Amino acid sequence: MAAARMNSAEPVSRLLKRHPFKSAAATGGGRWTDYLWSALFVIVLTAFGRAVEPWIGYRSIDLFYLIPVILAATLFGLRPGIATGIASGLAYNFFFLPPHYKFIVHDPQDLITATVLVLVAVVTSQLAGRVRAQAQAGEQSAQESAAIAGFVSKLSSLPDAPETAGAICAEVSRMFDVEAILLSPDGDCLCVAASAPRAGELAPDDRAAADRAFHGADPAGCGTAALPTSEWRFWPLKGSLGTLAVLGVRRPATSEPIPPARMRMFGEIVDRATRAYERLKVEEEARHLAALRERDRLRTSLLSSIGHDLRTPLTAVKAAAEALVPDSENEELVSTIRSEAARLSRFFDDLIDLSRIEAGALALKLEAIDLTDAVAAALEDLRLTLKGCTVEVDVPANLPLVRTDPNLLHHILINLLDNAAKFGAGTPEIVLRGEYTDSGVRLSVLDRGPGLPAGQEGIVFDRFARLEGSDRTGGTGLGLAIVKGFAEAMGLSVEAANRPDGPGASFSVVFPPSSLISPEAAG
Amino acid sequence: MRSPPLILVVDDEPAIRRLICRALELNGYATCEAGEAAEALGRINGDPPDLVLLDLGLPDRDGMELLPRLRERGAAVLVLTARDESAEKVAALDSGADDYVTKPFDTDELLARVRTCLRHRQAAFGGTDRVALGDVVIDLDLRRVSRGAEEIHLTPKEYDLLAELARHAGRLLTHAHLLRAVWGPAHQDDIEYLRVIVRALRRKLEPNPAAPTLIRNEPGVGYRLELPVP
Repeated sequence: MAAARMNSAEPVSRLLKRHPFKSAAATGGGRWTDYLWSALFVIVLTAFGRAVEPWIGYRSIDLFYLIPVILAATLFGLRPGIATGIASGLAYNFFFLPPHYKFIVHDPQDLITATVLVLVAVVTSQLAGRVRAQAQAGEQSAQESAAIAGFVSKLSSLPDAPETAGAICAEVSRMFDVEAILLSPDGDCLCVAASAPRAGELAPDDRAAADRAFHGADPAGCGTAALPTSEWRFWPLKGSLGTLAVLGVRRPATSEPIPPARMRMFGEIVDRATRAYERLKVEEEARHLAALRERDRLRTSLLSSIGHDLRTPLTAVKAAAEALVPDSENEELVSTIRSEAARLSRFFDDLIDLSRIEAGALALKLEAIDLTDAVAAALEDLRLTLKGCTVEVDVPANLPLVRTDPNLLHHILINLLDNAAKFGAGTPEIVLRGEYTDSGVRLSVLDRGPGLPAGQEGIVFDRFARLEGSDRTGGTGLGLAIVKGFAEAMGLSVEAANRPDGPGASFSVVFPPSSLISPEAAG
Repeated sequence: MRSPPLILVVDDEPAIRRLICRALELNGYATCEAGEAAEALGRINGDPPDLVLLDLGLPDRDGMELLPRLRERGAAVLVLTARDESAEKVAALDSGADDYVTKPFDTDELLARVRTCLRHRQAAFGGTDRVALGDVVIDLDLRRVSRGAEEIHLTPKEYDLLAELARHAGRLLTHAHLLRAVWGPAHQDDIEYLRVIVRALRRKLEPNPAAPTLIRNEPGVGYRLELPVP
């Protein structure tokens, strides 16, 4: 602090009051009051010497003159010290050496006395100056440390980025007597987060300098090689997480906003500000993670609540509908309850499947699967839906095994078969075909429906896809989206096309070569 | 087994319990019910039922903990479970459940499973050495499999697997159970072995190996040997 005050335009009188002897000594120059004091020391000592001369003799008096010399050199510095040394030599010569009251030197020893007094003044003032400088440096460094500690403790208690930015600017402005501004990235651009005292918009030059500092590692702006036309100098707040913000500093009419003597402390402040920003960033990421985790937990519990809690009443409804014995009057009502309950149940399944895909909550459990097993299980589960359809299974029993998730594959097949069963008036004809091709094993479900409108084969797997000119109704519109979601989660691809052999569509799942296990390799 | 067979229905939902009991009674079974694990245990200790329909989500205890106790008392167990809980199904089967039914279930499907479970239990009591699958007969005593008068030649692994399935005919055996029984505990995750042998067995036993009717697979769970409905 003391150093700061000395460099600023503080009135001399105030300094004197606080440090009566110190300030001038530090500069080594000396003011007229210092010389007056020195003269007074010499006069007092001369008077004292004259008083004791009769008892001790004039030869010993020269030693006494060391006292004012050391005093002046210690208290006032080099030049008043030397002046006192010379004055002391002259006074000794004039008042004590014979002939009295004349500046004549008889004895070379007396010349040595005067010289020694001057030398003592020089050495003493140097030593005292050094001690004083050390003390002062210690005091300054203690004050700087205290200021930095205060800065750190202030920043550490702030909850968010805007308040931190405001505090950094206010503290820098106060400590270094400058204007301070802090810019932090917001999306793609660098925006003013805070300034002290409140600054207006930055000029284009200043913005460019801030950008340069942000994207580089070094300060930019006035007084630097990069964009010196800016009025501000910007320092990047660069830590282990990258550059988090830039701190700008301006002092009108100077290109060195921070005096070189204070750069060390300023560097420290920039470093602490960077750490404060790093802490905020880490905290923000932790909060974000916690929020994500909470959302995941909610989604999982919602899924399981749909899975269990909503299915329970549905089970009761289904069982009750099946327990009803329809008579001629209510036969239609009973059958409506039964079929709608079944539809509702399928809708639940679709919704749950889809939310699992969206939530990325598909925990895959891969195992070797025989497509013969997969097809038979799907047909078995859908036997009620497929009642009245003719199903031709053309899946050779010697296809390679596929490594995939049995449950997801089961749902894929059920959805594809369910989709195919909706087409073809009267008795829908469904073909299940497995083939070994260059691109892997292809499992297709073919129907005899109206087929897919030209050019729309690709979007049929989109959610709620309603194809023009088709009568694909009755389902939830989610079945094929679930097929695609499950297949992609397992690394399989899906294809939709029109049947080459006449009307109808073909939906395929392709198991890539990497998922195939040749049966010979096992057991 | 008493006649009619007594079935204990354990489910915390009174509505579902009542409906299941009603459907069972309409089909000639005697029923009793329990809404909690403690109540179910009380029932078991008194007058053990022939079959327990067990919902795993009970308010006071995990239904899974009840399984060993139920098995001890000699009751067959049919687990009621939510869809897509393969791990839960496998765990229940490995703890001694005979089979499972997925909620929401069709009443007809539930009744079919009940019949299979009871038949399986009867077969287990009868200690039968001969299992007939249509025209295929497995003689567990002589280690012989034949179709009509003609013997079907099986490799040792094929026979071991078929015998394990036949000893528990109608019951769903998990992949791990079969692998342990035939290949030993070290191979209980090597499902490929199982797939290959099942394929070979189907080629020798099934009328149409591409559309199997004897050896059925439950995706992600296990195999069962289907007993023809008498």
